[in-house]
Amino acid sequence: MPFCGRAPKRKGPSLKRKGITRLSRENVTKNPNFSLPSPCFHFEFPLLHRIRTYLSVVKMAMEITQFLLAAQSADAKVRTEAEASLRQFQEQNMPVFLHSLSLELSNDEKPVESRRLAGIVLKNSLDAKDAIRKEQLVQQWMAIDVSIKSQIKDFLLKTLGSSVPEARHTSSQVIAKIASIEIPRKQWPELIGSLLNNMTQQDRPAFLKQATLETLGYVCEEISHQDLVQDEVNAVLTAVVQGMNLADHGPEVRLAATKALYNALEFAQTNFENEMERNYIMKVVCDTAMSKEVEIRQAAFECLVAIASAFYEVLEPYMQTLFQLTSNAVKGDEETVALQAIEFWSSICDEEIELQEFESPESGDSGPPHSCFIEKALSSLVPLLLETLLKQEEDQDQDDTIWNISMAGGTCLGLVARTVGDAIVPLVMPFVESNIVKPDWRCREAATYAFGSILEGPTVDKLSPLVQAGLEFLLNAMKDGNNHVKDTTAWTLSRIFELLHSPATGFSVISPESLKRVLGVLLESIKDAPNVAEKVCGAIYYLVQGYEDAGPSASLLSPYLTDIISCLIAASDRTDGGDSKLRSSAYETLNEVVRCSNIAETSSIIAQLLPVIMNKLGQTMEIQIVSSDDREKQGDLQASLCGVLQVIIQKLSSTDETKPIILQAADQIMLLFLKVFGCRSSTVHEEAMLAIGALAYATGSQFEKYMPEFYKYLEMGLQNFEEYQVCGITVGVVGDICRALDDKILPYCDGIMGLLLKDLASSELHRSVKPPIFSCFGDIALAIGEQFEKYVPYALPMMQGAAEICAKIETADDEMMDYGNQLRRSIFEAYSGILQGFKSVKPDVMVPYAQHLLKFIELVSRDSQRDESVTRAAVAVMGDLADALGSNIKLMLKDCAFYDEFLGECLQSDDEQLKETAGWTQGMIRRVMVL
Amino acid sequence: MADDSPASHRRDPIKSSVGNVAAQRRRQKAVTVGKERRESLFRAKRLCRVGATGDGDVSVEENDMITDEEGFLLDAQTSSAVGELKSAVASQGKGAMQKRVNALRELRRLLSKSEFPPVEAALKAGAIPLLVQCLSFGSPDEQLLEAAWCLTNIAAGKPEETKALLPALPLLIAHLGEKSSLPVAEQCAWALGNVAGEGEELRNVLLSQGALPPLARMMLPNKGSTVRTAAWALSNLIKGPDPKAATELIKVDGVLDAILRHLRKADEELATEVAWVVVYLSALSNFATGVLVKSDVLQLLVERLATSNSLQLLIPVLRSLGNLVAGDSHTTSTVLVPGHEITDGVIKVLVKCLKSDHRVLKKEASWVLSNIAAGSIEHKQLIYSSEAVPLLLRLLSTAPFDIRREVAYVLGNLCVAPTAGEGKPSLIEEHLVSLVQRGCLSGFIDLVRSADIEAARLGLQFTELVLRGMPNGDGPKLVEQEDGIDAMERYQFHENEDLRNMANGLVDKYFGEDYGVDE
Repeated sequence: MPFCGRAPKRKGPSLKRKGITRLSRENVTKNPNFSLPSPCFHFEFPLLHRIRTYLSVVKMAMEITQFLLAAQSADAKVRTEAEASLRQFQEQNMPVFLHSLSLELSNDEKPVESRRLAGIVLKNSLDAKDAIRKEQLVQQWMAIDVSIKSQIKDFLLKTLGSSVPEARHTSSQVIAKIASIEIPRKQWPELIGSLLNNMTQQDRPAFLKQATLETLGYVCEEISHQDLVQDEVNAVLTAVVQGMNLADHGPEVRLAATKALYNALEFAQTNFENEMERNYIMKVVCDTAMSKEVEIRQAAFECLVAIASAFYEVLEPYMQTLFQLTSNAVKGDEETVALQAIEFWSSICDEEIELQEFESPESGDSGPPHSCFIEKALSSLVPLLLETLLKQEEDQDQDDTIWNISMAGGTCLGLVARTVGDAIVPLVMPFVESNIVKPDWRCREAATYAFGSILEGPTVDKLSPLVQAGLEFLLNAMKDGNNHVKDTTAWTLSRIFELLHSPATGFSVISPESLKRVLGVLLESIKDAPNVAEKVCGAIYYLVQGYEDAGPSASLLSPYLTDIISCLIAASDRTDGGDSKLRSSAYETLNEVVRCSNIAETSSIIAQLLPVIMNKLGQTMEIQIVSSDDREKQGDLQASLCGVLQVIIQKLSSTDETKPIILQAADQIMLLFLKVFGCRSSTVHEEAMLAIGALAYATGSQFEKYMPEFYKYLEMGLQNFEEYQVCGITVGVVGDICRALDDKILPYCDGIMGLLLKDLASSELHRSVKPPIFSCFGDIALAIGEQFEKYVPYALPMMQGAAEICAKIETADDEMMDYGNQLRRSIFEAYSGILQGFKSVKPDVMVPYAQHLLKFIELVSRDSQRDESVTRAAVAVMGDLADALGSNIKLMLKDCAFYDEFLGECLQSDDEQLKETAGWTQGMIRRVMVL
Repeated sequence: MADDSPASHRRDPIKSSVGNVAAQRRRQKAVTVGKERRESLFRAKRLCRVGATGDGDVSVEENDMITDEEGFLLDAQTSSAVGELKSAVASQGKGAMQKRVNALRELRRLLSKSEFPPVEAALKAGAIPLLVQCLSFGSPDEQLLEAAWCLTNIAAGKPEETKALLPALPLLIAHLGEKSSLPVAEQCAWALGNVAGEGEELRNVLLSQGALPPLARMMLPNKGSTVRTAAWALSNLIKGPDPKAATELIKVDGVLDAILRHLRKADEELATEVAWVVVYLSALSNFATGVLVKSDVLQLLVERLATSNSLQLLIPVLRSLGNLVAGDSHTTSTVLVPGHEITDGVIKVLVKCLKSDHRVLKKEASWVLSNIAAGSIEHKQLIYSSEAVPLLLRLLSTAPFDIRREVAYVLGNLCVAPTAGEGKPSLIEEHLVSLVQRGCLSGFIDLVRSADIEAARLGLQFTELVLRGMPNGDGPKLVEQEDGIDAMERYQFHENEDLRNMANGLVDKYFGEDYGVDE
């Protein structure tokens, strides 16, 4: 039967539109405002006591020297035994142990080696990187008898006068550690006095003064400026600044003084407000910056860098001098000094950029003044920085950890561009234009680097004609004879794509027509030397990123996708690079390509990529493992490939049309991940875990069939205290699986909950994992509903305890604040999940915990510093509480005055989602109140 | 601390490599995705019923979750509210009117508290006769408004609940007239729109009771929600399938003008409702279609397509356009004449839709194009030489199935010339050869494999064109290369007789015993 001629025209289908209900607005009834006495809860830090095993008593004090020496023996057996003995001694009698160590350190008749180790052990008994461990040590120190502590401190102070430099140095560090514990608690008021005493006595030896200054510096570094009264600050500063005096002191003392000043600057706020004192300090620092000893000059310039950041607003009168000083240093001083001189200007840029970011749009009357130092110095500063670019080291392109004068100069130039914007362009372009064609590679590289550095800051209008005019030149420069030039050119291209190519917002220096040429060059150059290829990956990365969510423009890339992908895979397969950097850059770029591609047009290409990557991952199992090095290489490769799979899974499972591709391959993918896990014995693979999270989302409840095999790795991940990121990611994956499996996760919950509770109780586990664990409680509860009841007696006390810790978190510390916000939000999420899970089935279970939760919400609502996300979670959990418990909490709510105001605040918010949630919560509470 | 020199605060170089940052970002993103999913799950559980309600004044706090217990409570409150209304209606004298209004308001409040109003309880308690009573002429506006509102929400319920409004219809229609205040008329139109949306049976009742003319007249003024509500109600009322109502509507004085005026000037929301009226007019009534195509409506639709980004509006506009093209040869023969500015305009906006990210737009635009491509040779040439073809070819290989099917119609239509009578259509060889060279055959062969009969037929028809029409007898080879034989052989025992015969016929004719002997 033939094609039936003129195909019949077809009429459009009729849509049936449903009836529309009209809803009405309800009057908002206000609840009476009862005022409550301010909350009075009792917070306690849960202190974790370790159980100690007492071994046989060893009389150590007398023999500690020999154990300290033996602990450094070359013979492993001797060493181990000595360490065990020392530990035994420590565990038996901590105060005596510390006392003997300090005695050892102070005794000039003992060998240097034993004294050094005594100092280190002492220091480690007072401080640790981990916050919880540190808190334990602090408590332990404070528990020691005052008389023993004061003897220890005397020994340490005495050691500052020792003729052995190493002993002095160690002692000053230990003193600072004790000061960090005791000074804030006002338990060592005489420390500053006795240190200053060493300085003012004329007859004291220079090395004592040097050690004293060093100690003062360390002490200042350890404590906060609020811990000292102004008189003490003045005395310390006087002692330090006098120590820098050329006439009175030798170089060792002056160096120590200059370094001490660096740490003491934080205390000098008041002194810098006083013009006379400020002038004096600045003069001394500037003089010191011209000392003949290079180390002292460097330390002085470090002070100037710190001053630039801390006292920007009072620098005006000194800028002329400072420009001369830094300019001379950049031009002719040793590199270590020159680097600090450049850093001075970078810091000024940091300050001005920050001022510009927070500048109020109306007027400059609020906030500190902007002195426009960079703008004023621009015409001299830019040429100075451009000169530095010509001081490249041979082969520096092979090592991008290198930090030398040309790197620092270019980095500073970038900051200057961000500070002044368009004004930098006419100052840099002549340099670029005259150097970029010169025969000397240094000139060409410097010109390109300069151009790449100024691409952020100036307006698009100013830059785009330049970039458009220069693009072809840069593309040709990818064939330059010099490797370093090509490296920098590729980097410059990546900056252009990052900053001036955004089809999603309607602007790009790359026209649809030139895209072909650009890609042609990049895909050719990716075959160049490994370092060049790696930069080319960066260029491709930002090029494709521009097309993310770019609407129709996103299609522009689709025809090239196959080529791009095969070139990136070829790059990742290369073996000529010295390390895995090119490979991981190539794979990450591949990820970005997949992520940003237009799924409707490229799904088949991505679908074809899937088996390729799976195959590669399969091949990693065949790698011969001889050494731990091989094992690490295998792990790295697997990490990259799992990363690609994660992105592909996420991409293909994002639309209904492509999801089946993942579902069909899920069994094989999962098998591969399990094999990846199998390559290691005691740890799980972080990236594989992350990819499994994506797979669980894609497969939904089908994931159940993988659980029996996978569960042991989940356990392993949750127990990995040391690699806490792995633990954190595993916790997240538990959440993904809960959402995928719903109540089918029940058989595994006893095990998972047990491990999560153990994680929470652990003092070893990094604190960043703890908030996600609380959120995970919420996920589990939401998945298994009323079955969560049996965990309530364990989980809820943990949540309550954590809520109480939140109240004690230091608000002065940004990092801790951030942590506090995460913790609070996660606790709310846990409550939300549990409440929603019990709702309408067993709401009674949660009644005993409602009061505590309400108090916690109230406390959070009173904190004006709280994060928006915390507010959202707090409002939501209040609604959940009302929703789940209903009339059970009517009386409690009646006693609460805070929520009306809190909800009112939220309903005024600009955040639509917050408003919506607050409205819902209001409805829930009103319902409870009318019941 | 002390062991590090202060110089250790070294900044990151501006020239850095992408690998580490990118991996960090990717992992961060993966973790964030989990968080977002958690939040949206929570939100879904909390606000599980927030949806489009078509009413601007809905505030969020009413979107309570309904629990069994709450539903029960609401039902009880409703019954007692109806009881209250009953006693209010019965009472006379001072204060009786206020009492009625209060009772009505309470009932209305309960009925509009959530998206699942306690309609059943209201009906059981006998609300309808009371509400009808409250609609009697001469009642104060406030009372009429509340009563009509109650009826609106009852009509939005289940089919049998909607049907319960039958006794109220005459009064609701009567209140559409000029004598009523605008808010009352609008509320009545809303109620009637819900009734009309229910189905053919109720539509016929409304039409026989004369609902159409007053509703049509409500569309005539220039602005206000009244016009929008009326247009929406009308679009439900003329849904047919009988074309009579649509024909009647277009004949009402001033309606055509109002449609044109609103399409030209109104805001997008009103234009959307009016465009739906045009959709049903053009889908059902040839008469209405004839009237419409002779007006400026095509031009206006094209302008809306070119300027709007609202999906809500674009869909009915595209449908109207497609229907108008399909329904009346006047459209293609005298309005959308190749060479006219408007024709180029149409193609341009359709291309814009094809480029859009929205699959519905792509699909609808392809459908409109397929109707235009069914026109004259000139129309085919116009599309063929436009920007549309590369887009269509790409869509045919990558788009989801429903779009591909529409695209196949366009491409198929481009390859055959219109014929006067029956018989085999003649080919446009130039188009066929070029499209096949640009790779469209595999897309059609894919359709042959599809389970959808219509799409499969389309695939087979195009395959036939290729077999018959490619010069030098290249057709069979090309079809074979694309695994076409295999695709057709699947129909050997297919249950659909038509397709089976077509496929078997083609295989026999072009790949019979002699095939391949030459080589």
